[in-house]
Amino acid sequence: MINQEKVIENRALDPELGIYRLILRGQTAKTARPGQFVHLKVSSTLDPFLRRPISIAGINRQQGEITLFYRVVGRGTSELTRVKENQTLNLIGPLGNGFTVPHEGKLLLLAGGIGIFPLFSLIEALDTSKVKVKLLWGAENRQFLEAAGLKTLLEKNLDYEVSTLDGSIGHKGLITDLLEYYLQGFNNPSEKKSSILAWRAAACGPKAMLQAVTAICRREGIPIEVSLEERMACGVGACLGCVCTAREPSGTLVRKRVCKDGPVFDGGEVVWDEES
Amino acid sequence: MKKVDLTTQLAGVKLKNPVITSSGTYGFGEEYTPFYDPALLGGITVKGITPLPRLGNPVPRIAETPSGMLNSVGLENPGLEEFLKTYLPRLERIGTAIIVNISGFSLDDYALMASSLPEHSCISALEVNISCPNIQHGGMAFGTDPRSAEEVIKVTRKHTRLPLIAKLSPNVTDIVEIAKAVARGGADIISLINTLLGMRIDLKTRKPVLANTMGGLSGPAVLPVAVRMVYQVYKAVDLPIIGMGGISTWQDAVEFMLAGASAVSIGTANFVNPLAPLEIINGLEEYCRREGYGSVQELVGLAHS
Repeated sequence: MINQEKVIENRALDPELGIYRLILRGQTAKTARPGQFVHLKVSSTLDPFLRRPISIAGINRQQGEITLFYRVVGRGTSELTRVKENQTLNLIGPLGNGFTVPHEGKLLLLAGGIGIFPLFSLIEALDTSKVKVKLLWGAENRQFLEAAGLKTLLEKNLDYEVSTLDGSIGHKGLITDLLEYYLQGFNNPSEKKSSILAWRAAACGPKAMLQAVTAICRREGIPIEVSLEERMACGVGACLGCVCTAREPSGTLVRKRVCKDGPVFDGGEVVWDEES
Repeated sequence: MKKVDLTTQLAGVKLKNPVITSSGTYGFGEEYTPFYDPALLGGITVKGITPLPRLGNPVPRIAETPSGMLNSVGLENPGLEEFLKTYLPRLERIGTAIIVNISGFSLDDYALMASSLPEHSCISALEVNISCPNIQHGGMAFGTDPRSAEEVIKVTRKHTRLPLIAKLSPNVTDIVEIAKAVARGGADIISLINTLLGMRIDLKTRKPVLANTMGGLSGPAVLPVAVRMVYQVYKAVDLPIIGMGGISTWQDAVEFMLAGASAVSIGTANFVNPLAPLEIINGLEEYCRREGYGSVQELVGLAHS
């Protein structure tokens, strides 16, 4: 599970926004599933100290390669940009449970900002001749969407809509608006009911966005899986650093470990506003 | 080539080697099984148990620091009953010394834990946590005052025949004073150090990073503080010491043993390098062979002579 992987590419897709693509060749690709993550050692020194969890965005079993996207936000990701091709990176992975991959029906994908990255691996795993896919993606602006892979979606002929905070492309506003508009699109109540019943949803993004889209999906009776992010230390369930709160069917509140029990959870079981 | 004797004896607790994993960094011994067989370890200290289940503190519970990290988990644990029912039988099957870390909010809590944990099982010793910095009452409050530290150990002592390890807090003016107090209370072994109280503030939100404001500092950054305290306690108190605090390599482990630790415990290093405990066992053996020591125990306290 600790792998030394060869860096095939580590390239800025948009230097200004600090969005990078990292391709690694090694053992992880053999068993990785969509929605899992790897725990990367970004420095060979003691500082920065902890590993960095990064979701897997692409899995190529033939080539033995995984693709990761990351945005430079702090010391760890800055350090990661310095890694060169042909170097090796030490990682633990694949870790976590991953998304359910449906083999039929309709899948609504909901992405907030860089939350699109783990969904890429899910899209890749779908047989789109059997699963109807609709992607709604909200982000800050056009530049971000283009840097983070909008073109790839066009090439894949995916049915998608985007929203941006500044209105530079798509709907001006939030992804929750897109979701509400989309659901309102089913005018005839009986058609809406039968159509919506076939949907399930998978979402990744900031916590507030996940909370909002989960509320909407649950209102409409759409089962939703959410991929959570939390500050992590061990990545394997030992340190209890990255917990979320979940409500069991009995009503009891329990902690779950984002790294080990997740990062993908049934949106309905997550307690979003727990304060204690 | 002559074989190096790694076996370690701590006040009646027999270990196959002097390398233990620290409470709160190793769950209940299951998380690292994909990496290696935990039976190879000298021992495992399980996550701290309290009489009742605890959800622990809200997130964020983790903050990175230069060569270390802060945590404020707040003793999340399944509680005594669930531990005995679910986790103890599984620990039984591991095949190494199990140390159960116990925490409480009152003397009665410690008494209850001590009398409920079976003396004839895989449990080799109880580690009495009088040093948790992440809970409001109890924990560190017991371990920073010599009189209450002595009292907690004395009460726990009355309720079990298992060897008692007193886990000391470094957040005190004089560690020796506390070490002497727990020795008077009847501790068989002293483990140190728990984490150092610290905090970080986020420049964007201008608020503390941790939900609980403060947390315990661990990792390589605390190593020299821990070595110093082991050295001081070894000099002053005649009890075996389990040394811990930032150990991530075999060289660190040797340093702790030279300072006076009979065994070492590996904590935060597990998070970064799951194989650290095994590398340390091998490194200790190799060091002894190279330097001509037949037993790893010959290293203990050499820095004092």
